[in-house]
Amino acid sequence: MVQSKKQKYMFLAFCLIPTFIMFAIFTLYPLFSGLYYSFFDWSGSAQNKEFIGIDNYIKLIKDAIIPNTIIHDYFLVVTKVIGIMILAMFFAVALTQLKIKEAPFYRIVFFFPNIMSVVVIGILWTFIYNPSMGLVNSGLEFLGLESLAKPWLGSETWALPSLVLPSIWAGIGLFMLMLMGGIANVSKSYYEAAEIDGATEWQQFWKVTLPLVWPQIKISILYIVITTLNGSFIIVQVMTGGGPNNSTHVMGSYLYQQAFVQYNFGYGATIGVMILILSLITVLILQFFMRRDKVEY
Amino acid sequence: MKRSVGQILGKTGIRIPLILWTIAVLYPIFWMFLGSFKSNAEIYRNPWGFPETFNWQNFADAWTNYNIDTSVFNSLIVTVVGAVLTLVLAIPTAYAIERLNFRGSKFLFTLYVSGMMIPMVLGWIPLFFLLMEFNLLDNIFGLAIVYAVSQLPFTIFVLTSFMSTIPKSLEESAAIDGLSPYGVLWKIITPLSMSGIITVTIMNAIQFWNEYFMALIFLQTEENYTLALAIDYISSEAQYTNAWGTLFASLVIAIIPVIILYAIFQRRIAKGMTEGAIKG
Repeated sequence: MVQSKKQKYMFLAFCLIPTFIMFAIFTLYPLFSGLYYSFFDWSGSAQNKEFIGIDNYIKLIKDAIIPNTIIHDYFLVVTKVIGIMILAMFFAVALTQLKIKEAPFYRIVFFFPNIMSVVVIGILWTFIYNPSMGLVNSGLEFLGLESLAKPWLGSETWALPSLVLPSIWAGIGLFMLMLMGGIANVSKSYYEAAEIDGATEWQQFWKVTLPLVWPQIKISILYIVITTLNGSFIIVQVMTGGGPNNSTHVMGSYLYQQAFVQYNFGYGATIGVMILILSLITVLILQFFMRRDKVEY
Repeated sequence: MKRSVGQILGKTGIRIPLILWTIAVLYPIFWMFLGSFKSNAEIYRNPWGFPETFNWQNFADAWTNYNIDTSVFNSLIVTVVGAVLTLVLAIPTAYAIERLNFRGSKFLFTLYVSGMMIPMVLGWIPLFFLLMEFNLLDNIFGLAIVYAVSQLPFTIFVLTSFMSTIPKSLEESAAIDGLSPYGVLWKIITPLSMSGIITVTIMNAIQFWNEYFMALIFLQTEENYTLALAIDYISSEAQYTNAWGTLFASLVIAIIPVIILYAIFQRRIAKGMTEGAIKG
């Protein structure tokens, strides 16, 4: 059957246009009009929408909470990257290099928190940190370290660091699997050669494993950075809501508070633009610094 | 001989952190299950141990007094409608991008895929007013549409890479046999990419079932709450009512479907997520 050109175009349109219209309405349009809203003073009702030029951006620069939210976000990025990469690398090497019989069991268990809802994770960990019955304080008491027990999420100093552990807990499995995939692709002959040359296991790790799984490490770090900058506010919202006294607000949770709690939609959009720009810049810088040539032996 | 002793010791040594992390992962989850069977008084007295008796009162309370039944139903609708709609939108586009040569197909693919990297939080403010305009605010079907579109980039990305493995000759011979392009898409391509379709659908479904923040913004009345919102609500109530047992029971209700899916599709989910992250 020979198709006419018209039929071909009809089919192409059938495949592409409905999907693209939905994508345009629910993804592209909101992003661009978010940019547009950032130039308005707007509390949500149609009458009160006033064009104010870059006033929101001036407010953004003068807002004393904004620098803190940025610092908090990058604090989470850095601690998560370090914590997850070290632990995930350790577990990945342990599960692939040392022939442990029950390795699949660990793999299945470690990955599970990755598919748990942030709400469930957040509430579980709020309990773990609970000042009176929480596991952390009970554990410290059991070890005779009562002096270290504190209301973790209620303390301005400790609330933000306390959010790192649940994030690492929930994230490790995925990155462990990514690194395991990388290690599995490294040819055994490299390790055999290294062993003949008398390299210790530690040297093998630094000279063989690490350079050869560099692509996976790089992708993992980028992925942690992107997901943290674009999504750290979810666990913040569930566990502390930005408190106590704004000490855990990250950019996204502050946007939520400004836009959907205090109805400063224009200013909220301005914060959104900031998140977009900062995460794009961060990703570009990271990609530049991690451009390390592929190692081949 | 000396070496093998060293290796055995090394392996035991390496097992210690592995076992510790296993406990760190499993204990909170087990404890959540145990807590769901305890009375509130018992949770206070003995928060981290075994329950004295297993009673189902917490589940009954959550189910009836806290409207978890409605939330479960809402979450199911949002998950199923969202997952089906994602497929309806993604399969034809993935096929067109992968197989039909048209100008701009690369650009379109890049546009969709870059959607995975963009922080959507900026878009949620206009989306809120857009849904209001369409009368879809505080509506679980509105939320399902938003979910479906939000997972389009990932789904198109996975499906195109799956479809690229289907041999072209199958479509060609089907076309020669007189099958229309719609027939090829529906009767040849869709069944042959079923494995990929199942993988993305499971992952999308888990995503929608678990999602919290968009539901928080786009749903407002209690009877429209999804499970994540209902749990968050019970959790904030529990600060005053101390109904911890009910809270645990609702957490258990939320996590059981995920555990079941993970038990059945563990390999698929792990593979799908790592590949999605690596190629993305």
